[in-house]
Amino acid sequence: MTTAALTHTPAEQALIEALQGATGWRAQLREATREQGLPTKRNELWKWSDLRRAANDVSAAGELVVDGLDAAFLRPDDGARLNLTLTAKPGASAADAEVTVPAGHAVTLVEHYRAEAGALGNWHLKITLETGARLDRVCIAADAPDGVFVSSAEIVLAPGAVLNQRTLDFGAKLSRIETHITHPGEGADVDLGGVYLLDAKHHADTTTVVHHTGPGGQTRQLVKGAAASHGHGVFQGKFIVDRAAQQTDARMTHRALMLDDRAEIDAKPELEIYADDVQCAHGNALGAIDETALFYMRQRGLPAPKARALLIESFLAEPLDGIADESLRETLKGELRNRLEALS
Amino acid sequence: MMLKIENLHCKVETADGEEKPILKGLSLEVPAGEVHAIMGPNGSGKSTLSYVLTGREGYDVTGGAIAFGGEDIGEMEPEERAAKGLYLSFQYPVEIPGVPTITFLKEALNAQRKARGETEVSAPEFMKLIREKAKQLGVSMDMLKRAVNVGFSGGEKKRMEILQALVLEPKFLILDETDSGLDIDALKTVSDGVNALRAPDRGMLVITHYQRLLDHITPDRVHVMANGRIVKSGGPELARELEAEGYDKYLGEAA
Ligand SMILES: Nc1ncnc2c1ncn2[C@@H]1O[C@H](COP(=O)(O)OP(=O)(O)O)[C@@H](O)[C@H]1O
Ligand SMILES: [Mg+2]
Repeated sequence: MTTAALTHTPAEQALIEALQGATGWRAQLREATREQGLPTKRNELWKWSDLRRAANDVSAAGELVVDGLDAAFLRPDDGARLNLTLTAKPGASAADAEVTVPAGHAVTLVEHYRAEAGALGNWHLKITLETGARLDRVCIAADAPDGVFVSSAEIVLAPGAVLNQRTLDFGAKLSRIETHITHPGEGADVDLGGVYLLDAKHHADTTTVVHHTGPGGQTRQLVKGAAASHGHGVFQGKFIVDRAAQQTDARMTHRALMLDDRAEIDAKPELEIYADDVQCAHGNALGAIDETALFYMRQRGLPAPKARALLIESFLAEPLDGIADESLRETLKGELRNRLEALS
Repeated sequence: MMLKIENLHCKVETADGEEKPILKGLSLEVPAGEVHAIMGPNGSGKSTLSYVLTGREGYDVTGGAIAFGGEDIGEMEPEERAAKGLYLSFQYPVEIPGVPTITFLKEALNAQRKARGETEVSAPEFMKLIREKAKQLGVSMDMLKRAVNVGFSGGEKKRMEILQALVLEPKFLILDETDSGLDIDALKTVSDGVNALRAPDRGMLVITHYQRLLDHITPDRVHVMANGRIVKSGGPELARELEAEGYDKYLGEAA
C-alpha cells in the first residue's frame, strides 16, 4: 500500500482532526482514514456507497452526541432495555461503545441514528454475547435526510447465544448499517431482519457478514426494501462457513420493489462455504408493484396513493414481524406506515 | 338511463407494443332496476368492456362515450368511478398478500364514503355490517382475517367478490363470469347474494357463457357480443337459444 501520494479531502482531514488522541476503534478509524482515505466505490466493500463522495460537504470536525449510554463499557442487567440516540452534528465525528450481554441474560438494545445536514457520523459497537445470552437489537435510521451516517457493529456470540437484529432504514444522503457477526454454532442462533424504504435521493446500505466458525449454527436473514425515483438501495450479504462449521443451516433472502424506473437497487448476496455438509441458500429478487393488484384496490375505491401504500406496506412489513417486543414492533410498523403515506 | 354506452371503441397495447382494437363500436343501455346479461364467445371482448367501464389503465377509449347516471365517466380514475357506485366482480379476483380482507374492505368502504362526502363507518359499526353480510354468504370470520384472495379456491374468491359487493352496496354491478369455478351449492349462494342486491335503483350487467347462472338470476335483457360489438339483443329466451345453438351464426355476422 502506497500512502505517500494520498491527498486528503476536507472531510478526511476533518475526521482525522476530530479523532486526535483517540484510542481503540476510533484510533483505528483515524489511521485507516489517514492511510486510505474514506472508502470510495473502488473499494469492493463500498462499491455502491461512495462515502468520500457523500461526505463532500463536510469540512470541519463535528460531534456525535450519544444519548442513553452511561458508560463506554456496559454489562446490562437481565431484562434491561437500552435506548440509544446517536446524533451526528454537522462536521465529521465518530463514537463507539462496548456492550457485553452476560451469560443467560436477555437484553434489548434500540439505536436511533440521526444525522444533521453536513454531518458525517461514524458509530461503532462491539458486542459480546456470553453463553446462552440473548440480544434483541433494533436499529432505526429515520432521521438523517441530508446527512451521512455509518453504523457498524462487530458482534461475537458464544455457544447457545441468540441474536435477533432488526434494522429499519429510511435512508440519508448516505446511510449504512454494517454488521459483522461471529457465529460459533453450538446452539447459537442468528436472525437478521432488515427493511429499507427510500424516497427520492435517499441512499441506504445494508451490509452484513456472518462468519460461521463452529458446527450446527442457524442463521436466518430477510431483508426487504423499496426505492422510489432516484432512491438507491444497497444490500450486501455474506455468509462465510468455515470447514469446522459442519451442519450449518443458513438462509439469506433479499427482496426489493423498484417503485419507479429511476430507482436503483444493487444487491450482492454471497456464500463462501468451506464445509461440505451444510444447508445454505440465498435468494434475491427485484420487482415492481403489482399493477393488477393496484387496479383491483382502486376499483374498490381506494385512492391510488393509499392503495400503493398498502401494497408496499404489506410487502415490506414482514421482517418487522420478528421484533420480539410488541410495542416496539407496532411503533416501527407505525413509522413505516407514516413514511409510506408521505412517499412522493 | 343509468348506464349508457355509445359506439364505444377501445384498444389495448399488446406485450410486443402493437395496438390492438378490441371494442369496435359497442352500444348498450341499462336502466336502473334492470339486470342485463352479456353472452359471447371467448375473446369477444367481454372482460375488456368491464375494464374500460371501470377505468383500468391500458384500456384506452378511442371513440364513443360512457355515461353513468347521465355523467360522462370516460376520463375518471378507477377510484372515482368506484365512489360513484360502479363495482366490478372480477373474472379473476386478484390476490393481495399481507392485506387482511377485513382491513381492505373497511378501508375501501370508508374511502368511498369519504369521496362521496359521507361520514366514515366506525370500527364496531363495520364489524356488525360485515358479520351480517358474511353470514348471508356463508363466509367465516376466519376467512375474512386472511389476506385478500390469498389461498382461496376459485369458488371462494367468487363468493368473496359478492360479499364485497354486499358490503360496499354499489349502484351498478358488473359481474364478469362470476359463475365460473362455482359448484352447484356455491352457485346458489352466490346467486342469492346477487338477487339480494337487485333493487329499483340498482343496475347490473352479468357477463357469462352459460345459461346456468341465468337460471338463478333472471335477466331483463340478454345481449350477444361478438368481435367487440353487441350483435343481437333480446329477452331471457335469447339466452336459452344461445345455449342450444351456440354462437356460430353471430360470429359470421360480426366478422
Ligand atoms: N391487455 C391485453 N393485451 C393484449 N390483448 C388483450 C388484452 N386484453 C385483452 N386482449 C385481447 O382482446 C380480446 C378480448 O379479450 P377479453 O376481453 O378478455 O375477452 P372475453 O372476456 O370476451 O373472453 C382477446 O383476443 C384478448 O386476447
Ligand atoms: Mg373474460
